[in-house]
This record gives sequence, C-alpha cells and structure tokens, in this order.
Amino acid sequence: MTHVAWRLLRRALVNLWRAPLPSLLAVVTIGLALFLGGALAFSVLGARALLDSWGAQPSVTAYLDRSLSEDQARAVAERVRADHPEAEVVLVSPAQALERLRVQLGDLGGALEGLPRNPLPATLELTPRRGGELRALADQVSNVGGVAEVDYGREWVDRLEALGSALRGFGSASLLLLALAALLVVANTIRLAVYARRDEIEIMKLVGATDGYVRAPFLLEGALQGLAGAALAGAGLLLAQRLILPRAASAFAFAAGASAPRLAPVHCAVLAAAGALVGLCGSYLAVARSLRT
Amino acid sequence: MIQLFHVTKRWSHDPPVLDDVTLQVEKGEFVWLTGPSGAGKTTLLRLLFGAEEPTSGQVIVGGRNVNRLSAGGVPRLRRKIGVVFQDFKLLPNRTALENVGYALEVLGAPDAQIRERARKRLAQVGLAEKAGSLPVRMSGGEQQRVAIARALVNEPAILLADEPTGNLDASLTDSILQLLFDANARGATVVVATHDRGLLSRYHRRAIQLHHGRVTADA
Repeated sequence: MTHVAWRLLRRALVNLWRAPLPSLLAVVTIGLALFLGGALAFSVLGARALLDSWGAQPSVTAYLDRSLSEDQARAVAERVRADHPEAEVVLVSPAQALERLRVQLGDLGGALEGLPRNPLPATLELTPRRGGELRALADQVSNVGGVAEVDYGREWVDRLEALGSALRGFGSASLLLLALAALLVVANTIRLAVYARRDEIEIMKLVGATDGYVRAPFLLEGALQGLAGAALAGAGLLLAQRLILPRAASAFAFAAGASAPRLAPVHCAVLAAAGALVGLCGSYLAVARSLRT
Repeated sequence: MIQLFHVTKRWSHDPPVLDDVTLQVEKGEFVWLTGPSGAGKTTLLRLLFGAEEPTSGQVIVGGRNVNRLSAGGVPRLRRKIGVVFQDFKLLPNRTALENVGYALEVLGAPDAQIRERARKRLAQVGLAEKAGSLPVRMSGGEQQRVAIARALVNEPAILLADEPTGNLDASLTDSILQLLFDANARGATVVVATHDRGLLSRYHRRAIQLHHGRVTADA
C-alpha cells in the first residue's frame, strides 16, 4: 500500500506543478484566510488577557479617608475583616499603591517622581472567597467609618466583557466567512483541474479505477494547497508578531502584566490542520460533483 | 460468460439503439459483432463493461448482473475486462509504456512490476522500441497496438474490441487480429465489433449481426 500512497502523492505533486497559477491562487487565498483568522483569534486572546489584567477578577476597592493614620487604617481593615469573613481583605498603603502605579506605567513611571506628595489614599481590596454579590458587599463597606469611597468596578468591566464577547462573535463569523471563501476557491481550482484532466479520469475509470483512487490525488492536492496556505499564514503571523507586538507593548504600557499571546507550536498545528481541512473539503466538493457527472 | 436478456437501450424518445436483444457468448468464444454504422455495436459493448445502463432487460457478465452492481462492483468488473476503444483513448501526455502500465497502476501493482509487464506486452504487439514515445508521435496502427497492449496487460477474462482494424491497411489488420486471436487462444472470451464484412469471410468465427438495434443473424 505504501507504493500506492507514494504514487498518488507523486501524482498530486506533479499535478500541482503542472498548474502552478491556479494552485498558487488557492494557496494564497487559504493563507490569507488563515492569517486573518489567526490575527483575529490572537486579538481576541490578547483582549481577554488585557481584561484579566485590568481586574476582571471580581473585587471591591474601598478608598479610606486621607486623614486616617496608618494605625487607624489598620483598625478599619481589622473591622472590615471581622464583619466580612466571606471576603479576603487586603490593606494597601498609599506608598504601596504608588509603587504599583509606577510598575504599571512602565517607562512612564518616572513621571511620578515629580509629585510633591503621594496623592493616593490607603485602600482596602475585598475579594469574595466564593464569588457573591459585589454590590451588597460594596454597600455594607461604604457604611464603615473611615471609608471615603467604594468602587466595585463592575460597570466598566461588564462593558469591556461585552465588547470582548462582541469581538469574539465578530471574529467567529468572519472566520467562518473567510474559511467558506477559501473553500470555494479551492473547490473551483480543483474543479478546473478535474475538468482539464477529464479524459484521464474517464480512462482511469474505464480501466477499473475506483472512485476513491480517482479522487485521492485531487484530495491530496487540496490538502497540500491547504498546508502550503497554513505555512504562509504562519509566516505572516510570525512576522506580524515580530513587527507589531513590540510596538503595541510599548503603546499599551499601562497594560503591563498582560502577556500577549505568541505563536506557539500548538497554534502552528491548529493552522496546519485548519488549512488541510479547508483544502480537503474544497477538493472533495469539487471531485464529488465531477465524479457524479 | 456474457448473457443479454431482452435488452433495450434508447435515449429519450429516439428509436431504440438496441431493441430487445437476447444473446449469449460462451467462455473462451471468439465472436464477431457486425452490422452497419449505427447498428448498435458500440452501445452493446458499452453495456458489457457498465459504461451504459440498459433501458430494460438484463446484462449478465461473468455471472454478475451489470445493472445491479454496487458502486465498487463496476471497477471490479472492468478489471476483468480489457477494452480496445475505437478512438484508442490513450493519454497524450504519457508514453506508450505509461499508457499500457496505466491499467496495472489502478490495480495497485508495484512500479517495477508495472514496467516489466507493460514492456512485455509492448514487445508482444511489436512496439518494444516505441516504449518511450508519446502517442502523438505514433501512427494510427501503432496507437491501436498500444491500446491492445493496454487491454491485454492484466490478462483479462474478457476482451472487447470496438472496430480495432478501422482505417488500417490489410497487413496491419492481420497482425492486429492475430493479437486478438492469440488472446482468445490463451482463454480469453473475445468480442470484436466491426462493420468490415470482409473480415468475417476471411476469418470464420461466430458472427452476430445487428441491424437497427436488433439481432438479425447469429451464425
């Protein structure tokens, strides 16, 4: 059987070589579709990481009165801990808050050196241990003496999550459309190849070739086109990652801590599988129709 | 080996190409299928290897009802039948050797075996030196012999030839017919369609005559 598989593969390669332009068109189309799909997927993953870094983790932040001393702030924290054993309570001093901000701003952190005094208040960060209603927790904490303001940040996080969800939906729909377009181009390319070799197919069938034997080189051609397209898309994504990510990272310095997704071997395998699948499906459609007629 | 029972073939509302044909060809027989152009000879041969389906009636080849074969059954049937087509049906971009080997390729034979057997068949039809030639560089007679070599290369039980000597001179006709007689002598059942009645008088074999799709003589 190995020699038959090798023969079919050889024939598929020869056929690709004999019709380089339609093959190239199919490869570029699949490559483009996979590149755009991959870029969309990475954008969605990046946005997700950004959201997580911005505090998608549900928590309540209580800003303490600036006039409180360090001891008074600790006392308020102890009281809140005692009242709310269901939440983890962390006291962040003004100095710690300033240090965090400096880290988050990255290169821009130097701007904080010029401040005459630390403008940040001490805060309490409350994180429910097993989820729970943030609004109720925020309301209760806001009534504790020494707490100036409470923010539980859900509104903007919800909005960002809705945006992320819309982005995912748009990405999936676009990906589907792109895959469909690539599939149709491959189907058309293979259909042209089938038409050009209709005499050969007729003779193959007359001398006893099964439909599977007739179909195999065309399916291999489609799969090879898909794999070549995936390689093209992978190279494009790698290039984009090298050129765009460093600039994006410096532009989004405030998002330090969010690790942008990088093209890993598993992503390359997914790209290759998607490319081969699109190529296979496209050629199967073309050949199935041609064999019927 | 071959049986047709009340076979009729017609396309839409045209007069039938074959009209209620019943005949039988025994294993190892050599049969002329004769009649003028349009008598239905080619259609009858096409029914035998499953290239056409009868409008009505039954076609039995090698004990199998051709009309009831599964999708995989048709290729299996064709592997037992060698066909020499009137228009040769050679692949123009393949050499004579590759064209002959093609029938073995689809059977999954190894490359070395394909080359060896194809060379042997080409030598048998007197074309050993043309193994590397493309059909376009060969004469009609040479192409016909390549087509016969391809039909014989997997030693089929049945050999069907459609006008194998059309447009050939007398000496070439004799050499090509000799190839078919040799195949018959080796045990193959051979059906040769021809409109050349001179052949029938030169080579006495059973002759089935068709006229307007009906069997008018069988002797």
